Amino acid sequence: LKRYIRASRSAASRRRGYSVKVTFASVALLFAASQLSLIAQQPGRAGRGAQPPQTARESAPRDLTGYWVSIVTEDWRYRMVTPAKGDYPGLPLNAEARKVADSWDPAKDEAAGNQCKAYGAPAIMRVPGRFHITWQDDNTLGIEADNGMQTRLLHFGQRPLPGTAPQNEPGWQGESWAQWEFAGGARGRAAPGQKRDGMLSVVTTHMRPGYLRKNGVPYSAYATLTEYFTRTEEPNGDSWLFVTTIVEDPVYLTGPFITSTHFKKTPDEAGWDPTPCSAK
Amino acid sequence: MQAILNRTNPTDARRRAIVTLAGFLFTAIPALAQVDFSGEWSPRFHEDQPERVPGPELGDYLGLPINTAARMRADTWDASLLTLPEWQCRPHSADYIWRGPSQVRIWKEVDPVTREIKAWHAEWLRSIDRPIYMDGRPHPPEYAAHSWAGFSTGKWEGDMLTITTTHLKEGYIRRNGMPRSDMATLVEHWMRHGNFLTVVTIVTDPVYLTEPFVRSTDYELDTHQQIPPYPCEMVQEIERAKGVVPHRLPGANTMLNEFPERHHLPVEPARGGAETMYPEYRKKLSATKPVTPPAAAQKSGDGEVHVLPVQGNVYMLAGAGANITVESGKNGVVLLVDSGTAQMSGKVLAAIRTLTDKPVRKIINTSLDPDHTGGNETIASSGSTITGGNVAGDIADAAEGAAVVAHENVLLRMSKPPAAGQPAIPFRALPTETYHNEGLKLSEMFNGEVVEVFGQPSAHTDGDSLVYFRQSDVISTGDLFDTTAYPSIDLDRGGSIHGIIDGLNRILDLAAPSFRMEGGTRIIPGHGRLCDSADVAYYRDMVTVIRDRIQDMLKRGMTLEQVKAAKPTADYDPRYGSGDKFVEAIYKSLTFSR
Repeated sequence: LKRYIRASRSAASRRRGYSVKVTFASVALLFAASQLSLIAQQPGRAGRGAQPPQTARESAPRDLTGYWVSIVTEDWRYRMVTPAKGDYPGLPLNAEARKVADSWDPAKDEAAGNQCKAYGAPAIMRVPGRFHITWQDDNTLGIEADNGMQTRLLHFGQRPLPGTAPQNEPGWQGESWAQWEFAGGARGRAAPGQKRDGMLSVVTTHMRPGYLRKNGVPYSAYATLTEYFTRTEEPNGDSWLFVTTIVEDPVYLTGPFITSTHFKKTPDEAGWDPTPCSAK
Repeated sequence: MQAILNRTNPTDARRRAIVTLAGFLFTAIPALAQVDFSGEWSPRFHEDQPERVPGPELGDYLGLPINTAARMRADTWDASLLTLPEWQCRPHSADYIWRGPSQVRIWKEVDPVTREIKAWHAEWLRSIDRPIYMDGRPHPPEYAAHSWAGFSTGKWEGDMLTITTTHLKEGYIRRNGMPRSDMATLVEHWMRHGNFLTVVTIVTDPVYLTEPFVRSTDYELDTHQQIPPYPCEMVQEIERAKGVVPHRLPGANTMLNEFPERHHLPVEPARGGAETMYPEYRKKLSATKPVTPPAAAQKSGDGEVHVLPVQGNVYMLAGAGANITVESGKNGVVLLVDSGTAQMSGKVLAAIRTLTDKPVRKIINTSLDPDHTGGNETIASSGSTITGGNVAGDIADAAEGAAVVAHENVLLRMSKPPAAGQPAIPFRALPTETYHNEGLKLSEMFNGEVVEVFGQPSAHTDGDSLVYFRQSDVISTGDLFDTTAYPSIDLDRGGSIHGIIDGLNRILDLAAPSFRMEGGTRIIPGHGRLCDSADVAYYRDMVTVIRDRIQDMLKRGMTLEQVKAAKPTADYDPRYGSGDKFVEAIYKSLTFSR
C-alpha cells in the first residue's frame, strides 16, 4: 500500500510538474510576444533584422499638415490691433521687462531692421494669420506663417545637449526640436487595430530677442519655448489645432508665461496672404 | 517564518514565479491611455486678463461669433440685474467658469471593485460639483431639467479627455450680458502637459451664435491650494418695487461706445460677429455684414408619452400635449394636473399604469385649453372619486370617475354652448369641483402631501391655476410658464400681461433653490422641460423686459404696427420664435387699465 501511495504521489507530482512547465512556458511565450509587439509599436525602434526605424512622418499619431487659420476669440485687443504702450495686464513680467516695454519705440525698431521682433517663435502662433504645415523631409516639420512671412522648422531627433554651441546665429524662430508624445507615455499602447494616438511637443531655444506682444513686451536670448500641438476632430466636421505655448525667460519673466491658441483647418490655401512683418 | 519558507517545495516556487511573471505581464500592458487630471489647479490669467479678472467692459463684444439677437440682449443688459435675489448667487456655467477668476479642484471617482474611473469631478470656488460621467451612460431626454453644470459625459482620445455637455441652463459667454442660451451644447478637450492643464471649450448655440465659439484656458498645478467653502446669502441689495427687472431700453444704452473709445478701437469690431474672429478682419475693419440669426430648432415630440421622475411623489408626463403632472405614492392615490390632449389619453393612462395600478382620483385643470383638458373625459372616466357615507349614500354612481378640479371660469367657459359647427364638450370632461376666489387647499392629503391650488387672475386666461405640492416641493404652472414659447395671452378669455408677470413672480415667491440658485423647488411648466426657480427667473426677466419696452413705446405714442415694426422681441425671437402675437397681446393688454 505504501509503495502504491508513493507511486501515485510520484505520478501526480510528475503530472503537476509537467503542467506547471507547460503553463510557465505558455505564459513566458505570451509575455515575450506581447513585449515584442509593444516594442514593434514604438516609433523609431527596430530589432535586429527588423524593419528600419520609423521616421517622424511615418510615426505621426495625428496629421498636422495642411492650412490652418487663427480664430481670434482671445486677447483680441492685443492681437488684432497693436496695443498701446504699457498695456500688458496679466503678464508675469519683472521690473526690467516693464522698463523695456515702457520704452517701446516701433519706429526705432523699423529703422534698425527689427520689424520682425513680434514675429519670433514665442509670439508667432499668436499673430493672427494663416499657417501652412508641411513635412520638409521625413524628420522635419515646417510651419509657414503668412503674416510676417516666417518659417519655423521643427526637427525630430536627438536634441543637442545643453551648452552645445549651435551652428547658426540666433534667428527669430530659433532652433526647434520636436518629438511625438504618444498617449499613455512609456506605458501606453495602441488600441487593437489602431494607430497609437498622441500629440506633438516642441522645445525651442537659440532665439533672437524679440517681443511677446507687439507693444514691446520683451523676451531675451535666454528664453526657452515649450509647445504642445494637438489636433482634434469635432462632431460638426471641424478640425482644430490647439497649441499650448510656455515661455520661460530668466531675464524678463517672473514665471512661465502660458497661452493656448487655436486654429481651424481650412480645405485649401484660400486666404493665404503673405504679408511682411510690421513693427507698428 | 524562515523555516516555513525553507520547507517550500520547488513546485510552489514555480507557482510563485508564474504569479510574478503574470503580474508583470499584466502590469506591462496598461489600460489604454489615461492621464490623471486629479489635483488643485490654479488659473493663469496670461490671456484676456482684463475680461477675466476685473471683468469685461460694457460693449466689449470683440471676437465673439454672435448674431444680432445676442448683441441686442447685451446692449439692453443692465448690471443692476445682478442685484435681484434670483441672480445674486448664480454661479458661472460649465462653459464660462473655466474663464472665471477661480481655481479648480479636479478629482476622480473610482469604482472600489473594478477601479475603473466612473466619473471626473470639477469644482470651482463658486460652483457646485460638476460630474463628468465616464461610465457610458446616455444623456437625459430633452424634457429633463437643465443645470449650471449641465450633463457631461467623457471619453478618452489618446491622452486627451473629450467631454460633451448638454442640458445647460442659460448662461453667458462674456459676463457683460452677452448671453448663451439653454439650447447650447459644449464640447471640451482637457489636455495635461506636465504641471500645466489646457482646457478647450467649444460652445455651439443655435440661438445666439453663428459659429462655434472656441476658447482655450490654461491652469497650473498648485499643490498648496485649498478651495475654501464659498457660501452665498441672498440679501435685499436695493429697495425697489416688486417685479422690477433692471434693463435698458433698446437704443437707450449710451455707454456702449465708451469701450472702443477708451481703447482707441473702431466701433465696428467692438460690436462682435464671426467675421471679427478671422485674421482678414484687420484689413476691413470698416466693413459690416448683417448677421442673420438662425431660427432655434424646437424639437417636436416623438408621439409617445414619457415619464420623468421629478422629486418626492411627483412625476412629469411629457409628450401628451401640455405637460401632465402625476402625484402617486404609497397610498396609490393618483392626482393629475392636466390631462393632455384627447388623442393621447390612452397613452397617458398607459404611462400612469407604469407608476401605479391604482385609480386616478383627481384631475386639476390649470386652464381650459384642450391640450390641458382634452384627456379629462377618458382619464376621469377610468378613475374613481373617494366618496361614501351620507354624502353619496343615495347616489349610486357618486364614486364613478375621478373628480375634476378647476377655477370656476374654466367650468363656465367649457360649459358654454359650442360655436356653430363645433361639438359640445362632453359632460364627463367638465370640472366637477370649482373654486372662485384665490385658490383652495385640497381637503385631504394625497400620499401625505398637502396640495394647494392657487388661482392666478387674468394671466393666460381668467381661469388659471398653479398647483403646489408642498411636501414634494414641486409647482405645476400651467401655461403661465412655457419654456418653448413666449407666454400665450388669451385676451378674449380674460388674459393679460399683468397677470402673467404677477404669476411668474408668485412662482418665484413660492419656490426656493437648493444651492447656488439651482435645484430645490422643481417647476413643471405648461410646455417644455422640467425647470427650477432660475429658469422661471430668466423667463420672468424676459417677459418683464419686453413689457417694459412696449410700455415705453406706448408712452411715445407708437401704434401697434409701429411697435411690431420696431421688433421689441428681436433678441429673444431666436429662442422663442416669432414675437408678433406676444407683442400684440402686450400692447392691447397695456392699453386697458388693470
